[in-house]
Amino acid sequence: MLSFLLRRLNLLLITALILTIIAFATDRIVSVNSETVVNSNGYIKQYFAYLWQIMNGDLGYSSVDNQSLLERGLIFFASTLELCFTALIFSSIIAIPLGLLAGLFRNTRLDYAIMTIAIMGLALPVFWVGVMAVLLPSVWGQVLPVDGNLSLIYEVPVVTGFLLIDTLMVTEQYELFAFIDRVAHLILPALVLSFFLITEIVRLTRHSMTMVMRSNYIQAAYAKGFSRTKIVFAHALKNALPPIIPQLRLQLSTIISFAMTIEIVFNLNGIGKWLFISLKTGDYLVLPAGILIISGFILSFSIFIEILMVVISPLRRGSLYADK
Amino acid sequence: MLINNGFNEDKIQSPLGYIWSIFKTKTIAVVAMWLMIVLIIISLFAPWFVPHSPLAQNPDSMLLPPYWVEGGNTNHILGTDDLGRDSLSRLFHGLQLTLGGALIITLLVGIIGMLIGAAAALTKGVKASVLHHLLDALLAIPTLLSALILITIFGPSYTNCLIAISLSLLPQFIRSSFLAIEQELSKQYIVAIQLDGATKTRLFRYGILPNILEPTVTIINRLFTMAIIEIATLGFLGFGAQLPQTELGSLIASSMELIYLSPWLVTFPGIAIFAVIIIVNVFSEGLRHAVLEGEE
Amino acid sequence: MALLDIRNLSIDIDTAQGKIRVIDKASLNIVDGSIHGLIGESGSGKTLITKAILGLHNSNWTVTADRMFLGKTDLSKLTHKERRQILGKEISVIFQEPSSYLDPSQKIRVQIESVLPKKTWKQRFRLILTKIKKVNVQSRRLQIKELLHKVGIQNDVAVLNCFPHQLSEGVCQKVMIAMAIANSPRLIIADEPTTAMEAVTQSQIFRLLYKLNQLNNTTLLILSNNFANTSNISDYMTLVYCGQTVESGSYKQIMGSAMHPYTQSMLKTLINNVQFNEHKAQLYTLPGNIPSSNQLPIGCRLGPRCPRAQKICVENPTLTTKKGHSFRCHYPTKVS
Repeated sequence: MLSFLLRRLNLLLITALILTIIAFATDRIVSVNSETVVNSNGYIKQYFAYLWQIMNGDLGYSSVDNQSLLERGLIFFASTLELCFTALIFSSIIAIPLGLLAGLFRNTRLDYAIMTIAIMGLALPVFWVGVMAVLLPSVWGQVLPVDGNLSLIYEVPVVTGFLLIDTLMVTEQYELFAFIDRVAHLILPALVLSFFLITEIVRLTRHSMTMVMRSNYIQAAYAKGFSRTKIVFAHALKNALPPIIPQLRLQLSTIISFAMTIEIVFNLNGIGKWLFISLKTGDYLVLPAGILIISGFILSFSIFIEILMVVISPLRRGSLYADK
Repeated sequence: MLINNGFNEDKIQSPLGYIWSIFKTKTIAVVAMWLMIVLIIISLFAPWFVPHSPLAQNPDSMLLPPYWVEGGNTNHILGTDDLGRDSLSRLFHGLQLTLGGALIITLLVGIIGMLIGAAAALTKGVKASVLHHLLDALLAIPTLLSALILITIFGPSYTNCLIAISLSLLPQFIRSSFLAIEQELSKQYIVAIQLDGATKTRLFRYGILPNILEPTVTIINRLFTMAIIEIATLGFLGFGAQLPQTELGSLIASSMELIYLSPWLVTFPGIAIFAVIIIVNVFSEGLRHAVLEGEE
Repeated sequence: MALLDIRNLSIDIDTAQGKIRVIDKASLNIVDGSIHGLIGESGSGKTLITKAILGLHNSNWTVTADRMFLGKTDLSKLTHKERRQILGKEISVIFQEPSSYLDPSQKIRVQIESVLPKKTWKQRFRLILTKIKKVNVQSRRLQIKELLHKVGIQNDVAVLNCFPHQLSEGVCQKVMIAMAIANSPRLIIADEPTTAMEAVTQSQIFRLLYKLNQLNNTTLLILSNNFANTSNISDYMTLVYCGQTVESGSYKQIMGSAMHPYTQSMLKTLINNVQFNEHKAQLYTLPGNIPSSNQLPIGCRLGPRCPRAQKICVENPTLTTKKGHSFRCHYPTKVS
């Protein structure tokens, strides 16, 4: 187990180094474009200086309002993550049962119906659905807010950056209203983001369930005279669900990409909108900061998932020691 | 019921022929295939048969609704925008850029990605290791972010947008094709081919390629879908096609202010994107099923 | 008395190239308390026959049979629920490649426990009593231990705490057998139980099956492609070729007076059968190959490969039965 952890961390280090190189390169090119930095040192020397800077948590300062990019980026990224995870929970609740059903009743009408819904979810362009959702209030009246993270009347100090938690901390002042307001602001964007996620999860669950239901041990369970319900709950679920997690992990960057688009459409204060606005105003230094924050998160999250999988699944634990 | 015919000279069908014969029985998928062909022809020859030039302004008929709504006329079937430009013509031209761009990206990324993926799977040692770490790093950058970076560096234009999307989709595609090939490589018959002394190219051509048909269909479909969505998204954000050019995403963006006056202008391009993706997905899903059934 | 009686079982499978009759009028008659060998090359449809017996077929199969009885129950007319009552309790199955037939995410203990009969209220009551009075009443744990010892697994605790992928194929097969005999079924179907195993393990498994038959009077249906190996322990044998049962009879009838050319050719392949093997002679094989399932010959499917085939062989021969020895051939002759 220890050797496995070490190997993982080793991979993490190398990949992180490559990422800093990319960020450094972007930083240089962008700086040259804006012609603010003139540096006579060699690139390698500059790179190490940059690396040292990053290690000290200094990603530079915004050229527009002179605020620390790391701090601002992290706060914005926290609300992006909030959006992603709300959508993830939301879509898991809907999509996993649907996917299981589709896999269980493969090639029946139910399966076709579910897959049709799933494909539609993928085919609807996220930004367009967002635009349509913004249109909604004019059609149905103001039900859910469609702009911003929080109504302006609430003043919530930034503690964790996750507004859902921060609003819970100010309950003496606003009771639960701030929290509810935040949830109301999250619902529509999360719903739009879950369109894509539902498709993805339904597909993965269905595939995994189909594979499991075809496997020999399910046949054997039938031959033992178990009922279908018992087979599904005792054997199929336990084998079908874990493989979905690493598959979904691979989609993380796509999910964040979509979340960034949604933020721009819904005018949410997330990292997507921050990057977008900053780029429009010519503050190019946000790019390297954005790279480091987002991909740093994706990287550490995937390592975390991998370790989690080893802990969860006995089969993977077995394959750890074999070859390689 | 006569099951065996007297002269049993049926040839065993070739695998591709067999897959095709299964595919033909799937009506919806066949319909989707024809629709896809029609779409491609439309996007290729749009300028020749659209009723109006997409840029021809007509101050007499501005913001016309589609012809089935009161106030619309059959001269402009889908109505006009705020400068009196014909929506249908603009839609077709937009389709040309969106669909055509997506096709080019799919073709390019598909070929290059497959080759790199195969190279990564078939080589071992330092080369493969370097490639893997590089891929890991590139995969950790979301597509939109890398597209933003490239566009910031090279400046926004339609071509740059295509290049940016290709570069950002490439790592994903390499990873998927690498995984598919890797899975195939661990099988017994590959060892048999290797023991025959086959070269890497031969191994790839005869051992792997025919057997990764199903995952290839899936990942190419995914690549295409993502390409369309990305092109439209970047167009919408203003980083893609620049003004005189019409692209579905930028069409939506340019009529955002008119959304309450004439919601049609926003609705139709969205539906067009939706339809294209649905058609391609239904087709590829049918194809994938045919391949799966053929392999069984 | 026949435990399993199957007459004219046919299976048609829908494929993209039309319906294919994979099993053509197969008959199987298993005597209670015997070991029955169902022998045929791989792809000849042995597994399909057992799947039809168990009712575990896919939706694109059409199964028709004149008779399909297990004792007095008609297997072809069972509802799903009734079938579940029979599976695992009256018929158990042992598969080839046993490790893939065990759930990879559950420990062996859980899997064996799941096939044990459900605790009745009486048993639960007695279990509580045991704890109070400390009387040694057979508990589930003991039951499992006994089962494992029966199939020759000594270190039961270690095996019970393993996942299937940690065990060898031989041990997995023993676990499968333990699970199969847990409810002391009347019929155990063993589907090529020793394929891909070492010779020592193979003979262990066979000895185990033989012992089960002798001690518990369990009827065994052993599917195999190994004529030499299976014939040793079988009381009765049925030979299958391309989905047709060509000959069936007792060990003595098959070995001594085989009537069908296919059986005869199988006999000739036995190496220790001195009668056919001269010094330095070539080992015997039937000419030609097994036809693929979408190019099956009409009539007797052995036709193109049969040394005695004639014009009439394009029609399906009828079943001839003499003293329990039945065969399908137009020109049956005994080899002297």
